[in-house]
Amino acid sequence: MTTIDPSSALVAEAAPFVSRKTLVMGGRIALALGLLLAWQWGAMTFGTIFFAYPVDVFWRIIAIARSGELAEDILTTLRVSSIGFVIGCVAGVALPFLLRRSPRWTAAVEPYILASQGIPKYALAPWLILWFGIGDLPKLVIVTLMVFYIPFVNTFAGIRGVDQRFVNMARIMGANEVRISREVIWNSLLPFFFTSLKVSLPRAVSACIVGEFLVSTAGVGHYIEHAREISDTVGVFAGIIVATALVLIVNAFVERLERHALRWRPTDRDMVL
Amino acid sequence: MPEAPLLEIRNLCKRFPARQGREPPPWVIRDLTFSVNDGEFLTIIGPSGAGKSTLLNMIAQIDVASGGEIIFQGTRIAADDPKAMRPGLDRRIGYVTQDDLLLPWRTTIDNVLFALEVQGRLDDKSRAHAAMLIEAVGLKGYERYYPHELSGGMRKRAALIRTLVYDPPVILMDEPFAAVDAQTRMQLQEDLLRLWSLGRKTIVFVTHDIAEAIVLGDRTLVLTRQPTRIAAEHVIPFPRPRDVKHFFATPGFADIYERIRAEVQ
Repeated sequence: MTTIDPSSALVAEAAPFVSRKTLVMGGRIALALGLLLAWQWGAMTFGTIFFAYPVDVFWRIIAIARSGELAEDILTTLRVSSIGFVIGCVAGVALPFLLRRSPRWTAAVEPYILASQGIPKYALAPWLILWFGIGDLPKLVIVTLMVFYIPFVNTFAGIRGVDQRFVNMARIMGANEVRISREVIWNSLLPFFFTSLKVSLPRAVSACIVGEFLVSTAGVGHYIEHAREISDTVGVFAGIIVATALVLIVNAFVERLERHALRWRPTDRDMVL
Repeated sequence: MPEAPLLEIRNLCKRFPARQGREPPPWVIRDLTFSVNDGEFLTIIGPSGAGKSTLLNMIAQIDVASGGEIIFQGTRIAADDPKAMRPGLDRRIGYVTQDDLLLPWRTTIDNVLFALEVQGRLDDKSRAHAAMLIEAVGLKGYERYYPHELSGGMRKRAALIRTLVYDPPVILMDEPFAAVDAQTRMQLQEDLLRLWSLGRKTIVFVTHDIAEAIVLGDRTLVLTRQPTRIAAEHVIPFPRPRDVKHFFATPGFADIYERIRAEVQ
């Protein structure tokens, strides 16, 4: 038996003149500067009723961060959106797994679930307030409903796409159905799962913020809506920036998780999203 | 009186179900009968599209037969009832497929241990056995690599020992070395023969490579085109251990090669 040097299994890559990372970073910084300039130009052209100056927004965020208002609003929004997100995700992933066992149930239930996706969730708000009052509950329900369909549809597609040959191989080796779900189905699904996480996380935060426009006493959405009511354009912009940052941070966290969970996957670096 | 064969295939038939409103498709396999003795290395050769994979799928119980019987250790297996099928027949039939089908999210060692893990047989002894097999096929040092980081030949080796490690009495092999270059294939054949000489399992090895069928087998069956039947049977008389790399020079090899080549259409 010949022995092969382990390092030869990896393909050596030629180093380009300017590293790819530098190029991408440079492009990003240039885009950010361009956007800032456009924003500044907008404020100068349309006036401070419609646009707030970037500098003013920056100082406003510092100010509310110092007063503790920012932390309170962020925590409120995060609490509601994360609880709703978890409930929506768990249900959206678990339901296809249960339905997998019974094609008949699947055929019966699927059209109803897909039809209910057509209901505009925000239109439910008045009815939800009627039922649950003006606490966190109506927002929670909206966030959950907004999230649910994304993992549900993705998990379904993922389960249908599982390579049956892996399933047969596992059966031949003596794996039972639970084991097959856990090992073959779940791992085959992971890429789909993370795709749905990446889509549904920002959506959970936005749904929560829109919910706060409608009914709230705290939260980032409440801050924006309150600022609008008193024609505080700087406040509106500050709120939008905070909400965006929130989504970005949450997404970065999911991406780290994904890189770890999918480290077995050969990556095409040009397709990293 | 000779010992009863370990595995018997009697009048096995297969045709795929008809689509609605169409003529039933032709028979893939029709009245196929043969048997495999305990500890025998049987090679089956046939033209591509002869239903070789379908035959192994039926024996492995992941595809239903349309008629006929499969008898394993004297017991009839319900080959034509999808509800009664038991893939792998309670771990007594192993299957090395054409594609390696290594689980891409498991490293080499975890792929090799997969069967032991799901069978609840993972202990120090079985781990040591797995480590021995990994070393025997030259995968030592690659235990922590994922399948996509391995070469084609290494993946084949991993797929092979993944089945050997849990020791099923019969192993089906479906052109496992078809997709690698000639040099690697010889190396793999050598590895397989060495591993087989250690354990003397019963192997049913399907291939479309005549030389491979002769080098590896105790006996070779030649299949016809669809509907598949047995065209000829050859006992391969060469003594073991066989030297894979210089086998073409063995006296009598060319003769048997030519005879089989004439029978494979």
